[in-house]
Amino acid sequence: MSLNPMHQFEVYKIGPEINLGGINLSFTNASLFMIISSFLILSLLFFGTKKKSLVPSKIQLITEMSYTFVAKMINDTAGSSAKSFFPFIFTLFMFVLFCNMVGMLPYSFTVTSHIIVTFALAAIVFIGVTIIGFIKHGFKYLELFVPKGVPVVLLPLIVIIEIISYLSRPVSLSVRLFANMMAGHTMLKVFGGFVISLGLLGGWLPLSFSVALTGLEILVAFLQAYVFAILTCIYLNDALNLHH
Amino acid sequence: MKEFKEISTRLKIAKNKIKKENNDGSNAASLGKALKISTELVASVAVGATIGFILDNWFDTTPLLTICFFFIGVAAGIMNVFKSAKRMQNK
Repeated sequence: MSLNPMHQFEVYKIGPEINLGGINLSFTNASLFMIISSFLILSLLFFGTKKKSLVPSKIQLITEMSYTFVAKMINDTAGSSAKSFFPFIFTLFMFVLFCNMVGMLPYSFTVTSHIIVTFALAAIVFIGVTIIGFIKHGFKYLELFVPKGVPVVLLPLIVIIEIISYLSRPVSLSVRLFANMMAGHTMLKVFGGFVISLGLLGGWLPLSFSVALTGLEILVAFLQAYVFAILTCIYLNDALNLHH
Repeated sequence: MKEFKEISTRLKIAKNKIKKENNDGSNAASLGKALKISTELVASVAVGATIGFILDNWFDTTPLLTICFFFIGVAAGIMNVFKSAKRMQNK
């Protein structure tokens, strides 16, 4: 059982089964780890902003750094008109980052290694950005699918291609995060299994690999949160400033 | 005056350090871009093929539209990659 590398992704319910109108709303380990990461974010921000000293303590420094990091990212990629979306993007970035990082701890569960979680996040971004675009530009937003300077003969084909490329946004956004997290954790587990099966004699090589992979996975965990947030900014930029 | 000179040289050193740190940060950012582009190419193909498959079920033209939309999806994926590369160059 413990040698099965996919066993770590199993979702099981904690406590009683809750059924509301045919929908299974039971509390699972996935919900538990989502709550843990949200709680960690809230406590970081609470303790980081409690004592507002001029010379920041370590926790205040982390809070301020995460704030300036996201603020700079929004300013660089989406311009100053996207400033009002800071709370949304900050929440998204911190949630993905903490879910990934909590998943790096031994015996924990990685919420973002399930495609339904990442797809829900990506769908929120996709639907939200589309609504914002329509509110901001009305039906002129559909001009996004009609690039300038295209010959009339090619126009139908180009419009179909543009629509498919627009629809592929949530898919690529969710598959990227899910695939990276799942592949990384499976690989870690496989190398961990090699250590046990090769024993005291040959187990040192896979052990050193797994140490190196842990470092790589921490980088990937941060990077995926960053990419998720920066792509949200890019999509927002497309919706807010139609021609760029 | 001497103090002023000292401060300005220290400022210069600090500024250079910040520049160096920013360059280090862009290494991770370029890895992120690489991961981004690779999935963009695949996702469009999948979306195109899925749309073709659904339309095929609607119109009962089973293999035809799936094949057409598969290739349109490939085109969309290449265009996605092209767009992101262009965006990177403009920066």
